[in-house]
Amino acid sequence: MNRTQLESFLRDHHREAFLWARQCCGFDGELAKDVIQQVYLKILEGKARLKHDSNCKTWLFTIIRFTAIDELRKSGKSERLDSEVEVVWAEPEADPETYEALVRRLPTRQQEGMLMVFYHEMTLEQTAEVLKLQIGTVRTHYGRGKKKLREWIEKIRVTQ
Amino acid sequence: MTRHEEDQEIQHFFLAMKERDQRIPAPEFPAIKKSKTINWWIPVGIAASLVAGFFFLGEKESPPLPAPMGEVVIITLEEGPDQEMQFNIEHTNEMDIWESPTASLLTEY
Repeated sequence: MNRTQLESFLRDHHREAFLWARQCCGFDGELAKDVIQQVYLKILEGKARLKHDSNCKTWLFTIIRFTAIDELRKSGKSERLDSEVEVVWAEPEADPETYEALVRRLPTRQQEGMLMVFYHEMTLEQTAEVLKLQIGTVRTHYGRGKKKLREWIEKIRVTQ
Repeated sequence: MTRHEEDQEIQHFFLAMKERDQRIPAPEFPAIKKSKTINWWIPVGIAASLVAGFFFLGEKESPPLPAPMGEVVIITLEEGPDQEMQFNIEHTNEMDIWESPTASLLTEY
């Protein structure tokens, strides 16, 4: 992919890239703006290069995710990504508008999996590539995330 | 509820979330400065200077050729008609073959 094609690709995916950066930054829009700027600099300065056999979108999402992790660490907001503690979450709020609030309650890996598959319409294999996990591990997080989210949606529906 | 129905429920959830996120303003795509193109005048200028240099150097007088060989002067001592030894001076421009007139005096071993 030459520079012109790369710029065109980034422009076409700019909004989705920003939304993913925002999700990776704990839904912090301001931090996401910094992250996306850094990502574009890395790419256009050649510090992040697309391998010939890589999918462009997964490549972009991977760079965004790692850049967001770095920024969160610098700001002291990071959490261990490998922690997958099953927490008994408090009952979800009855307000059905808090989609973000429900997603944010999920453990990080489940959040990421659910967002990539259902929000960004990626496959589990692409999700595994972005998260740098084995496909089996991704399926596990995906399954648990679906189950938990479904329970909360059901509770909200019942309480309405 | 079947798995398909369960997934549909979650799909509707995220669809609604995406619709709500349309309100979120995304930053402008950054203006990307094009990298400076190579200043072709520099190598052209260098090449032109080199050509001009060779040209001017070529016009200088070539170093003088070594003076052509002058006449060859052959001085021999010969016996004159009066049985007197006298010098015989011979001028020539060529000396492809020259035999010493006194070669016969040499003893060959």
